[in-house]
Amino acid sequence: MKIGDLASPEYKSVLDRAEDRIEETILFGAVTGQSDKDEVEIPSFPIAVMMVATIGVSFLKRRYALAEARRASNLLRNEREDKITLIANNFNWKIDSVEDPTNSLTYDFTLHYTDFLRNATGFHDKKWKLVNKRMSNGEVCLTKNDVVRLLEEEIRRYIEGKLDTDVGSLPETLMNRVNRLKRLLREKRGEARPLEPSKEVLINAFPPCIRELHGTITSGRNISHIGRFTLTSFLINIGMATEDVVNLFRSLPDFNERLTRYQVEHIAGGRGSRTKYVPPRCDTLRTHGVCPSMDDVCRKVYRPLAYYRRKLRVAQRSTSEEET
Amino acid sequence: MRQPTGGMHILLSPLRFVRSRFAEYYQKHPSAIQPPSAIERREFGFVLFKEKIMARHKSFKNAESLRSFLKAVVPLDVYYSSARYEKPEEKMEDKGRTGTDLIFDIDADHIPTPCRKDHDRWICSSCGAIGKGATPGKCSSCGEQKFQEETWFCEICLDSAKTETMKLIDFLMRDLGFSSEEIEVSFSGHRGYHICVESEEVQTLDQMARREIVEYILGIGLETEFHGLGERSEERSRILFGPGLDGSGWRGRIARGVYELLLSATPEELQQIGLRKKVASNLTEHRELLLESWKGKGPWGVTKDVGFESWKKIARHGAEKQSAKIDTVVTTDIHRLIRLSNTLHGKTGLRKIEVPITGIEQFDPLERAVAFKEGSATVVVSYAPQFKLGNGTYGPYQGETIELPMAAALLLLCKGRAKMVE
Ligand code: SF4
Ligand SMILES: [Zn+2]
Ligand SMILES: [Zn+2]
Repeated sequence: MKIGDLASPEYKSVLDRAEDRIEETILFGAVTGQSDKDEVEIPSFPIAVMMVATIGVSFLKRRYALAEARRASNLLRNEREDKITLIANNFNWKIDSVEDPTNSLTYDFTLHYTDFLRNATGFHDKKWKLVNKRMSNGEVCLTKNDVVRLLEEEIRRYIEGKLDTDVGSLPETLMNRVNRLKRLLREKRGEARPLEPSKEVLINAFPPCIRELHGTITSGRNISHIGRFTLTSFLINIGMATEDVVNLFRSLPDFNERLTRYQVEHIAGGRGSRTKYVPPRCDTLRTHGVCPSMDDVCRKVYRPLAYYRRKLRVAQRSTSEEET
Repeated sequence: MRQPTGGMHILLSPLRFVRSRFAEYYQKHPSAIQPPSAIERREFGFVLFKEKIMARHKSFKNAESLRSFLKAVVPLDVYYSSARYEKPEEKMEDKGRTGTDLIFDIDADHIPTPCRKDHDRWICSSCGAIGKGATPGKCSSCGEQKFQEETWFCEICLDSAKTETMKLIDFLMRDLGFSSEEIEVSFSGHRGYHICVESEEVQTLDQMARREIVEYILGIGLETEFHGLGERSEERSRILFGPGLDGSGWRGRIARGVYELLLSATPEELQQIGLRKKVASNLTEHRELLLESWKGKGPWGVTKDVGFESWKKIARHGAEKQSAKIDTVVTTDIHRLIRLSNTLHGKTGLRKIEVPITGIEQFDPLERAVAFKEGSATVVVSYAPQFKLGNGTYGPYQGETIELPMAAALLLLCKGRAKMVE
């Protein structure tokens, strides 16, 4: 199939289905449903990937990769062991399903620890720690559900990688659809308030620690508890609205609105706590591994907030100089 | 394996003498210096006699150029990177890392051994008071908090480091599945052991994955419930169950740790791990029965008075003893520099040497690491506890002039405990 063919009328139902996948992702964060024709369903996925890559908004890329990965794992959960092994082998996993005729074992697969770690280190539950897994001879014992969850993560990263490749220019019929989806995305996110902090917050004046935490969150990855606390209290203290801080966490795959709102408001001094929290001191952040590396300004301060104020002063001075 | 920072290793006056001995070593035994695999992709670092600072970002095309460099420059310490780079001489950001060996460091320094009080001492920097053993927080005579520390290492320290090393090897082979050919064990030339795995599969492990491996080996975050310890109800009674001695991974380790604990613990020791007095005495009273039970399903639930929570404590404590005390930072640092095999250690004048895994139990580091087997030197010793080196025993010394075999003299000079006689 060539990209140029996509404009021809036979492909209309494929394009419809592709657009469908993306629209559902934008609106509900999921891809469900299915065309009853394989020749529509199967090619609609790579086309949707091309379209999302063209839209180019990283929030959508992450959301789409996650939605497709979840869809895949939901389908896999009902598959037999050999089908799962087959998919895993596609990603070069060293995996074996375990013969268990007497049904006496508590696991279904063994997986090489390197494949396990590549996918599990981002999970927070203690059951995913290597130390809590049964391991022998480099093989980790896993249930079918465990393997499917790990595969979901592998698939998510795989799709994210695809979405970051350059797809070149698309034919006009496709561009019309892309533009329509862009508008939809803008409306949807406008309703949820912008993800980027409001104008008076100067990202350029963030210290390295905050810049890193902020970057991690906006790229949809989780951070530690102390990291979350540091970032939230920092943003609140430099005047960002609670609502905007909550929205920042919205790009996390496991975003929980109620809980996040509670935590942010608590730090902001609402919710009966009355105290407004400030970010920890640099030495505390250093011992918790939140401080990535110090720059020249860091050496003159003891708190991330002091860093920000200092930089802000310098920035203001230089703009007023420009004006005179 | 402290990340070397340079600094004063030895007093100024013996410097020239030590340097010429080191020069002699690199001159006479060039072929002993075996380069690391993929030498052209490694970064090298050296502590130099002259400036006592670390010179980094060097690289060598082959063994020959490394050897001639050592002969010409005669460094105090020689290190290479556990990482492989496309351009090892560039700045860190531009090196282009292609992989990193999986390395472990076991240092007697991190293991609290009873011999500390025999060979370590501290001197208060303000009043001059001297004490034995671990350095206190505050000086007992003047209350100041600055001290000069004088630490030593002995057979007991090195033996405990060796025990931890053997435990680590067991983890690496049985749990992670490496063969003995894949694991390289060395005595560092000072207080501990280095363990290195270069296999392809470890090269691309990221820092988080390495941290998970470290925590696996240290048992950090271990929950015994994930390893078969639990209870269920059956016809109005609670049935306890737990892992067996031959279980794989941590299961067997927990069981073996519990076995050892039950074998020898006194009621007092059991109380110390948080068990109530009645539980502790119950366990020791039924010791025979409990040990016997391992032939079947294990001691879990054998005596009624020991409940699930108590067994959890026992299991956790048993597990703690089974972990291998590795340094966490060294393994997770993917840019680490490690001492090169068969080079001299600047703090001892001993060699870093490889240890055969099969013969590790009989391996005597204080004999095998001696680099200078001939000659002698007369030195003025300020203070040294009794120590063993090669096949001799020396000391204790306190402010005396004495003629010693070369290796013993160098050890004292390098440790800053002696000067040359002018
Ligand atoms: S020194 Fe302080 S302000 Fe600078 S990065 Fe570290 S923690 Fe942040
Ligand atoms: Zn004092
Ligand atoms: Zn000792």
